[in-house]
Amino acid sequence: MTDIGNVALWITFFVALWASVVGFLAGRTHRPELARSAERSIFVMWGLLVIAAVALMRALLTHDFNVEYVAAYTSRNLPVFYTWSAFYAGQKGSLLLWALVVSTFGSVALLVNRGKYRELTPYVAGTIAIVVVFFVATMVFASNPFERLGFTPPDGRGLNPQLQNPGMVFHPPMLYLGYTSISVPFAFAVAALLSGRLDTGWLHAIRRWTLVSWLFLSCGIVLGMWWAYVELGWGGYWAWDPVENASFLPWLTMTAFLHSVMIQEKRGMLKKWNIGLVVLSFLLSIFGTFLTRSGVISSVHSFSQSNVGWFFLVFLVLAAVLGFGLLAWRWPMLQAEVKLESLVSREGSFLFNNLILIVIAFSVFWGTLFPVISEALRGTKVTVGPPFFNLVNVPLGLMLLLLTGIGPLIAWRRASPENLRRQFLWPVTALLVTAASLAAIRMSDWWSVVAYALGAFVVGTVVQEFVRGTLARHRLHGEMYPLAFVRLVGRNRRRYGGYVVHLGMVMLFAAFAGLAFKRETEVTLKPGQSVDVKSPYGWTYHITHQGVSQYEQLNRYVTAATVDVLRNGKYIGTMRSEKRQHLDSLGRPTFEPSTAVAIHSDAREDLYVVFAGAVQGTEEAVYRITINPLVWWVWYGGLVLALGGLITLWPGGQGPTAASRRRAEPAGYVAQVA
Amino acid sequence: MWRRSPSLLLALACGVTAALAAQAPNADSAAISNAIRTRPGDSLGRLAVPEAAGRPAEVVTARDNEELVKAIEHKIRCTCGCNLDVFTCRTTDFTCSTSPAMHRMVLARLGSGMTEAQVLASFQQQYGEMIFMAPPRHGFNWVAYLMPYVGLAVGLGLVGAVARRWFRATPKAAPTAPGAAADASPEELERLKRELERFEA
Repeated sequence: MTDIGNVALWITFFVALWASVVGFLAGRTHRPELARSAERSIFVMWGLLVIAAVALMRALLTHDFNVEYVAAYTSRNLPVFYTWSAFYAGQKGSLLLWALVVSTFGSVALLVNRGKYRELTPYVAGTIAIVVVFFVATMVFASNPFERLGFTPPDGRGLNPQLQNPGMVFHPPMLYLGYTSISVPFAFAVAALLSGRLDTGWLHAIRRWTLVSWLFLSCGIVLGMWWAYVELGWGGYWAWDPVENASFLPWLTMTAFLHSVMIQEKRGMLKKWNIGLVVLSFLLSIFGTFLTRSGVISSVHSFSQSNVGWFFLVFLVLAAVLGFGLLAWRWPMLQAEVKLESLVSREGSFLFNNLILIVIAFSVFWGTLFPVISEALRGTKVTVGPPFFNLVNVPLGLMLLLLTGIGPLIAWRRASPENLRRQFLWPVTALLVTAASLAAIRMSDWWSVVAYALGAFVVGTVVQEFVRGTLARHRLHGEMYPLAFVRLVGRNRRRYGGYVVHLGMVMLFAAFAGLAFKRETEVTLKPGQSVDVKSPYGWTYHITHQGVSQYEQLNRYVTAATVDVLRNGKYIGTMRSEKRQHLDSLGRPTFEPSTAVAIHSDAREDLYVVFAGAVQGTEEAVYRITINPLVWWVWYGGLVLALGGLITLWPGGQGPTAASRRRAEPAGYVAQVA
Repeated sequence: MWRRSPSLLLALACGVTAALAAQAPNADSAAISNAIRTRPGDSLGRLAVPEAAGRPAEVVTARDNEELVKAIEHKIRCTCGCNLDVFTCRTTDFTCSTSPAMHRMVLARLGSGMTEAQVLASFQQQYGEMIFMAPPRHGFNWVAYLMPYVGLAVGLGLVGAVARRWFRATPKAAPTAPGAAADASPEELERLKRELERFEA
């Protein structure tokens, strides 16, 4: 089966090459038989990659340790749940997953748009095929998941214990789905540029795709934060690690695109900008992979260094030249249909919102690469860590939060003073009341005060929009309030889903601001000894060390330290933090011992207890105790964000707007729009 | 071969007992801990397999928790390659022997009467600028801090220039009649807004 997988990869390589050549030829010559061939080749490519993926999965599940990848990432006693995640735990498997997901999305895009966008689809097929050619070539020439060893070891090395966490089962695939699904909007953008069909029609084809990408990226990032928080044990969820940054960059540009595309759909403006954002998002998704594979920047997420980094660099440069070269070529055809009438308008606020998002993306990109730049220009190595990113990005983030509140309040085209007064009254009141209240209770961190006040402003904006819309429906149609609310959202899913996303963002900002009040301490306790830790809310945690126990569990040997916790004298629970020494099937230790954190969480704060180790092999334990305010809001903010994205994505609603359809008409798209 | 070791089996038995005890209601666990305290000889049991608990830990002193020590250690990077600051690494990566050594250096230097600035300077002298978690704000490093805001300024300039060009190209719209909106009821305004949006959108 493994050999079949290997052969399937090689055939995929040639089929994808064929599809790319034929796809572009079909687009250029308008020959339908070539277009059909390109389309079918994409489906064949997908089938072959499924065969390769099944072959690798079978090798993993049957412990075929003669396959180097299987021996490197699994062991006989690895739970099946994690054997599944070993598929993408290493570089070779993740490349196969990437190729499979790109071809899946490509096939779905072609199926969904069958019979529509006839001038675009051959180019779309060709572009998707080129992306697959790249990934498959990287595998067959440099990093083959089916590579065999010269011998068969009795057991594999096993999966890194830090990856044996449910978060790692879902977080990487979500990010891969996010990264790879950007290939579809990119392919449509390239197709629109090559074919010259540059009206809003191609935007209709990719609207849902961009949302899907954004949603997967959002979920992937939040799940990654959750994994880092519960598994790594350092007491935080975001470390501005280069690879975290790499996932954040396309998310920022996609978020900018989701806003600016509305201006193009409604007003026929920002066409160049939108194509530029789609190209940039695709390039940044490849850039993230380049960072993890090249070893150019040191990161805890990096795969072992290999020549695969060069493949990614070359592909990145070629894709940038192709994308931006085509954009430059079609520049004259991308003129705005109308002009901006006033900066005090919805369009104006979206412009500023895009500007801030891109500046944040630039600052993250710049900070990530600055060590390389400094070393190249000055020969001096520097570290760019969280203090830099927080210093630079906190003011920019707060500006973005302000614009999140302002945008929905301003009318399209031009806002009148009366409109502004009426719209801003309650949100600004919420802002001022919050700021005054926090100042009155002497909140010490001014950045946090500003963040909470602006959060209140955004919540005021969103609530006002929901309340006014519901009241208007109630008065106009005589509907009951709950029904009016449901219909309001149901009939304007894009708009109100977007507002729900804004609420999720406020929850995330509230959580980030809470970090200013984090408290951490280390303590050594003998069994029966206690320590008191003060919370920023004023109460006291009384933590008593109960003892340390050792036992074998699944594929590991566990050393568990247990504490009883009282808050202001009231028992709130027993918490257990562990050291886990993983064992192979022969009972031999593998990897260094890892840590399992004990977390007591509620909406106000997390008590985060880490068993740091035993003193001289006794039950005397060292604990790191951290109080993390408002972490709960990160996870639930992420959920609200995803919910908002789902509402926006949900089929039905109004579909492309009337103005957007009118704009598509001259290009001949209208009859094809679903 | 841990699985075959008798000591491991013993530890397993003790561990299961202890784990069950830890899962018991609070009253029970309190009773267990009280029992341990009443028997001083047993109060500090030894682990059956100490190496399974990771790197041997050192007793934490009050100095380890001093805010000044934490502040310094949050500013310097552990050189083990983990990308974490010294405080976070030594309290998180329990396989790292570099960050505890750097922690001892911080304590020793503070103990010798150095100020925070002098301790940081001594680390810079020893390891270079890369020892800091963020580039020190001098010379070329200012480029790192200022570029995002230069980018913002350039972006604002571009938006301003493009907007000015657009405004010049657009004939002035008739001003909105003052009070026209104020005469409408909220539901009429809402309806108008939505009709306009439907039309425009």
